[in-house]
Amino acid sequence: MKALFRRYPHEWILVGLLTGLLLAAWRLDPPFVSVGTQAELSTHIWEMALLTVPMTLIIITAGIDLSVGATMALCAVVLGMTFERGTPVAVASLLAILTGLACGFLNGVFVAKVRVHPLIVTLATMSAYRGIAEGLSLAKPVSGFPASFAFIGRGEWHGISVPGLIVALAMLAAWVVLNRSVLGRFLFAIGHNETASRFSGVPVDRIKLLLYSLAGTSAGLAAVMFVSRRNTAKADIATGMELDVVTAVVLGGASLFGGRGRIVGTLLGVLLIHETREYVSWRWQNDELILVVIGALLIVSVLVNTLLTRRQAVS
Amino acid sequence: MTVSFRNLAARRETGVAVLLGLTVAVVAGLNPAFVSGANIRDMLVQCAPAAIVGCGLTFVLLTGEIDISLGSMMGFLAAVMGLATSSQYGNLPAPAGIAITLAAGTAIGLLNGVLVSVGRVPSIIVTLGMLTALRGLTELIMGGKWISGIPPGLRYLGTGTVIGVPISIWVAAVTVVLAWLFARETPAGRRIYALGSNPKAAVLAGLSPTRIKLFVFALTGFLVAVATLVGTTQLSVIESGIGVGFEMVVVTSVVVGGASINGGKGTILGMLLGVILLGIVRTVLIFLNLGETSVYWERAIQGAFILVAVLMDHLASRRKSAEVPT
Amino acid sequence: MNTPFLDINNISKTFGGVRALTNVSLSIESGEIHGLCGENGAGKSTLIKVLGGSVRPETGSVTINGQPLPLGSVPASEEAGIAIIHQESAAFPHLDTYDNVFVGREIRRFGGVVLDRARMKTETATLLARLEQRFDPRTPVGDLQPAQRQMVAIARALSRNCRLMVMDEPTASLSTRETGVLFRIIRQLKADGVSVIYVSHRLEEVFELADRVTVLRDGRKVDTVPTNAIDRAGLIRLMVGRDVSDARTREPSVRAGVVLDVDGLTRADAFTGISFQVRAGEVVALTGLVGAGRSEVARAIFGVDGRDSGTVTVNGRTLIPADIQAAVQAGIALVPEDRQRSGLAAPMSVKANLSLAVLKSLARVGIISDAKEDALAVSMMNRMAIKAENTEVAAETLSGGNQQKVVLGKWLAASPRVLILDEPTRGIDVGAKAEVYDLIGKLADGGTAILLISSELPEVLRLSDRIIVMRSGRISGELPREEATQERILSLAMPEGAA
Repeated sequence: MKALFRRYPHEWILVGLLTGLLLAAWRLDPPFVSVGTQAELSTHIWEMALLTVPMTLIIITAGIDLSVGATMALCAVVLGMTFERGTPVAVASLLAILTGLACGFLNGVFVAKVRVHPLIVTLATMSAYRGIAEGLSLAKPVSGFPASFAFIGRGEWHGISVPGLIVALAMLAAWVVLNRSVLGRFLFAIGHNETASRFSGVPVDRIKLLLYSLAGTSAGLAAVMFVSRRNTAKADIATGMELDVVTAVVLGGASLFGGRGRIVGTLLGVLLIHETREYVSWRWQNDELILVVIGALLIVSVLVNTLLTRRQAVS
Repeated sequence: MTVSFRNLAARRETGVAVLLGLTVAVVAGLNPAFVSGANIRDMLVQCAPAAIVGCGLTFVLLTGEIDISLGSMMGFLAAVMGLATSSQYGNLPAPAGIAITLAAGTAIGLLNGVLVSVGRVPSIIVTLGMLTALRGLTELIMGGKWISGIPPGLRYLGTGTVIGVPISIWVAAVTVVLAWLFARETPAGRRIYALGSNPKAAVLAGLSPTRIKLFVFALTGFLVAVATLVGTTQLSVIESGIGVGFEMVVVTSVVVGGASINGGKGTILGMLLGVILLGIVRTVLIFLNLGETSVYWERAIQGAFILVAVLMDHLASRRKSAEVPT
Repeated sequence: MNTPFLDINNISKTFGGVRALTNVSLSIESGEIHGLCGENGAGKSTLIKVLGGSVRPETGSVTINGQPLPLGSVPASEEAGIAIIHQESAAFPHLDTYDNVFVGREIRRFGGVVLDRARMKTETATLLARLEQRFDPRTPVGDLQPAQRQMVAIARALSRNCRLMVMDEPTASLSTRETGVLFRIIRQLKADGVSVIYVSHRLEEVFELADRVTVLRDGRKVDTVPTNAIDRAGLIRLMVGRDVSDARTREPSVRAGVVLDVDGLTRADAFTGISFQVRAGEVVALTGLVGAGRSEVARAIFGVDGRDSGTVTVNGRTLIPADIQAAVQAGIALVPEDRQRSGLAAPMSVKANLSLAVLKSLARVGIISDAKEDALAVSMMNRMAIKAENTEVAAETLSGGNQQKVVLGKWLAASPRVLILDEPTRGIDVGAKAEVYDLIGKLADGGTAILLISSELPEVLRLSDRIIVMRSGRISGELPREEATQERILSLAMPEGAA
């Protein structure tokens, strides 16, 4: 058991924090931890959770994608505006996802072919995509989607929440990739030493193109989920989403310098942020306090992690 | 012999200057009111806060770090300033308000610096966390209300003029010139470049990365406070949305102006050109008379600028290599 | 002189559980050139860093000129007159040359606030002239050739009026002519009473320059001997602790079919009209002065860089330019010059590094087979005699020689048809060098076509069947090994009209 702790210290700390939080909540506000409440609250987190999956992969390669929120907004706008003009919602959804693919692909081209630092590229596309969304929609929302559409964002399949299923499948797939597959090994190699990976025949450019396209497509899917659940599509959704997503992934133990990251860690990061946010909102009805807590949590978790790794290396 | 490193940097500043010049010329040609004294003054006032903060951010980037907490810092400092001096709250005199704001800004910057240099937490994480936490803190201390009743002494900073030129422009000009001199002519300035250029060699040369990074982050915090004092006081109320998105504008400007995210490369002049170029986009759109919906495209255009800038760099240095770019 | 100028006493330093130095003591006289030798990991770099002040030892003391030296402080060491020229590139590429020379000790005006550029520029120009370098002191260091960068580092040390100069592998990137200039400077320093500590793997240089030499092994001092009281074999024995025979010269191999055919390869500013062939089982050496363009040619062949014209053909198949994938598919492997940067993913395990180039073949439907990977790793470790605890340890914990073996092993696993080796034994200790030579010989015997890029002429003469010499981007000559001597190679390599 101690060996298990030694191998995954970061994840265990997160589990500890999460358990501590839930125990405290159980003592102070028992209804919060009931299955019903949790199920209800879980609907807030699916899109963010979905986006953490490609983000984890990207961060492992020492990249980053700050444009996921903006991409999601643009896809939502595309979905809304095409639907508004008479396109069947299924086709509109497909168009939204393709938009996401295109956005991600553009990021990938700049990162992989033009060889610009992903922070810069996605900072730029973050503005650009959000801007295009605002320009196209003139900040007007679209609603009135058919009831059947809500299935993706709110429906259930044999009792399991549909968006939850989507997220679970995505995480499972990512876990397999990272732990067992050639691609996963390549991702870690790129994160540790991109030049050496290239020199070893790893198709670095192709992989990066794939990753960023995947992130964009996920953003498109997340947009569909969001619009379906909230029955509204507008250009200012998912503001700050990218920060939440990066925070969750880094909280989960991934290093922004590349080479480190686990899906389990990301999942725990998502859960921790989610439960913290929901509980603070539940107990104090105070959205602002959450921001402070999450900001501090991010810094402290990395600080602790850095101290732990240094301690390990020395011993 | 070709001095290509320098040339590349010079090329970027020239490119931005040319683009800026062309834009101004074209718009002025279509709508001469664009270059009227009043409009130029308004545009420069608009750019002033970003120019002031951009000096600090340039130094941060030069050391190989980044600071994206700038906007939240500004919002927080505005709230602090407002709460301290407003007749409805702290009711302190303007000089006290100024001192408190400057001190608070420097303190936050210093905290960022400590976490980065001593705590060894990557600056993107520190400033990301700070961005979130400060935004929350701002809303908390403002309690969802707007702050009014700012003393006239402070409002003068935002609205007053000296020889017809608004104070904010004066402050920005002085800051930029001082920063430029500091970067080029002082040993400390050179050492900031050295640290970013080769951190390991810097240690071997006896430089202290800790001290240098503490300095640049604290300086940035101080400059954000300065920008807050001359920027947010233009309005009569302080509201909680101040500064949202500001960091993106400043980072974009600095990068367009030629600074490298990896450190060691970037100039104050480039930053200034970038700030002005990005700052006038909204005004340009208005003066081009493309209809009122065109301003919605402001953000898209700002984003496109970076992409164009980096594309230009890429085309200029076309020798393809498998090395990770520096 | 009864009290030595520099007295190092009982220095110990541990880095996280690894004993880098244990009770090292030695003393150096004024005006003495003192060689420091030892295998990689022996502690030389750590000792230098202690003298320079960037590392503080746990125990021990240093006395210089009778005064105790405050340890762990770079300014204190500089104050005491110690100047270090480090092995790793300690230059600031974005700064100008004169900035590089003076960073940390800038010349100032106006009460210390402003830089005095004019004086720094003229002083730098003077120093460069002394080193027979002709470039403008305003040149950004990033634009300089490696040899020039090294000269700037030397200029920086010289600018200090130091009493002790420490040089760590200073000739690694220097041409023969520049090495001569450096030696002249060192002898001048000696005549001026400056002490010099000279660290080098190139034992000929140590014998030529040094009065005495100290050998470190595994963090301890083995012995200090006058250089005229020991020979090369004896020195090696002290360093390695056992007798290591220089690997025997390779027998020339049987000629077989052409595997690699390079024709008219050209890239502006790098190389022009490069054409040559390598047959299966042949070792062709590509040699020349630093800057002649050899690595650039290798990189172009492997697809790291692009080219303006010319073709590369492997077994008849022409390769797409600038495409590493294509080169690897065709069976080319490149062991790069800078293994830390381009050869290894250092934090990853030895196993992961060894399997990186052939990972797809160890997998089914994209999923890696642990069994196959383990088998490969174990077999490679044995075949190459890689010294590591097991296959799971991080590659960065291995010594330089073993790391290079991992890089080689990675490519051997791919059974390449063409193996390009760029300075394969740089920074490797004598023991591992012999093992690498052995491996190269075995590979050639097995039918691999080998292109060996090396600046070490003894190595070239020992291993190759044919020697191609490059000069300023062109091939200046080709010699079969029987006709090759160091002098003939050098005369083909040096600029026309040079001595």
